[in-house]
Amino acid sequence: MNFATPIYGYDPRGSVVADRLSLAPRVASLDGLRIGVLDNAKMKARKLLDGTTDILRRDHDLAAVNYYLKEGFSYVATPEMIAEIAANNDVVITAIGD
Amino acid sequence: MPNDLAVDHRPDDLPPDMTSISGVDPQEWYAERGYTDGLPIAPPTPETVAAVVTALGGDPDFQEGRVPPRWGVLSRRTLAINIVMAGCRPEYAPVVRAALKAMMEPHFNLNAIQATTHVVAPLTIVNGPIRNAIGMNAGHGAFGPGNRANATIGRAIRLVMLNVGGAQPGVLDKSTQGTPAKYTYCVAENEEESPWAPYHVEHGYRETASTVFVIGAESNHNINSPLPNDPEGILNDVISTMTTVGHNNARASGHCTVVLSPEHARSIAAHGWTRHDVRCYLQMYATNKFGVLAHDHKYGKVYNRHLPRWYRRQLDSDIPIVPSPDNIHLFVVGGTAGRFSSFIPGWGHYNNPVLRAIDGELPTGHGPICVDGTCYL
Repeated sequence: MNFATPIYGYDPRGSVVADRLSLAPRVASLDGLRIGVLDNAKMKARKLLDGTTDILRRDHDLAAVNYYLKEGFSYVATPEMIAEIAANNDVVITAIGD
Repeated sequence: MPNDLAVDHRPDDLPPDMTSISGVDPQEWYAERGYTDGLPIAPPTPETVAAVVTALGGDPDFQEGRVPPRWGVLSRRTLAINIVMAGCRPEYAPVVRAALKAMMEPHFNLNAIQATTHVVAPLTIVNGPIRNAIGMNAGHGAFGPGNRANATIGRAIRLVMLNVGGAQPGVLDKSTQGTPAKYTYCVAENEEESPWAPYHVEHGYRETASTVFVIGAESNHNINSPLPNDPEGILNDVISTMTTVGHNNARASGHCTVVLSPEHARSIAAHGWTRHDVRCYLQMYATNKFGVLAHDHKYGKVYNRHLPRWYRRQLDSDIPIVPSPDNIHLFVVGGTAGRFSSFIPGWGHYNNPVLRAIDGELPTGHGPICVDGTCYL
């Protein structure tokens, strides 16, 4: 096969346009903080999250534990749910629990 | 401007997505960069890319959408590059675009389909005059190899998902086992051999319209039903296949596809049954006991969050495969000989199928929709 004639390679991926986001600052202590718990709706997510929050309650002086449930594990959380979680919590935990 | 291109020998006068690779085997160049589905591709040239852009309406920078989970921008030029690579003729391009635009509708949930551990792949079924205009196979072996339009339209869709959507297996596509349907998965309805109105007419489009139906789907599961010659007998064999418990509809509801062979469809229609009758029968009697789905609570008390809230959950409760006859999408595909049909499980309630005209036109919108003698207001 002769590859001497001018040929071109094409990048088939297209561009990605996105703002770079930074992680939220880490907290030094959970004491006095409101913990948001986002259940992604997998079968055993609630069990895993309940066990986790039990340990956190035992070891820390939490101000509140707020529980949220997604409509389905393969759906993104709604903008309303994300806004509510962000407004009413200092730290958020989520889990798959398959 | 693309921000993550592999640029090695690119002169200044080339577009940013082009590189001079003279003297290099193009198959090796594309394969080394992970730009293929593992099979050799048709290397694009300025002429072939331009021909497809023209078939898409020109304006190569026009953005048709963004493809998750990478959220790459699908410009007509990028789409054309993938269409050429798949081996399509330019006249297939509007079908590829229509299918992708349908899949990019938010309720199709392509983001999750691309990333899930499940085997789901988008299935495209084409209706209307364009099937014959571009030579699609709706007959013998329609789901299999041998027809350029079927094979390369489905392949182009997959290449866009891989390249623009970034769904590389094990990277952003976490499918545990994958499926051959992820190479290509596109057929046409055999309207000519069907005793019923075509799918798109059932859903309000004119017969002269050409449409794509897309759904998140498993591979097709065979229904070998050689003896029955009446609706109940054939459809009971369909139900037997539908009620296996390992697919997502059984455990997570949603939508599914039933593809009858022409022989089966004609036997059913000969008894006066309409498409609507078939879908209602299947929905009513394709059920599993909740206890079977819950393993009789052997592994702990099961509620099953993935099923509709209104379902009863006693062990002897009947759990429908899908919650409504409208969630069964019925097509006639296949050759004129053979009593083999298919059940194609969906992906559960996380995916909603989309029907879209290839030219973007809406359904007729003129009065009631009448199919096989039944009118819906």
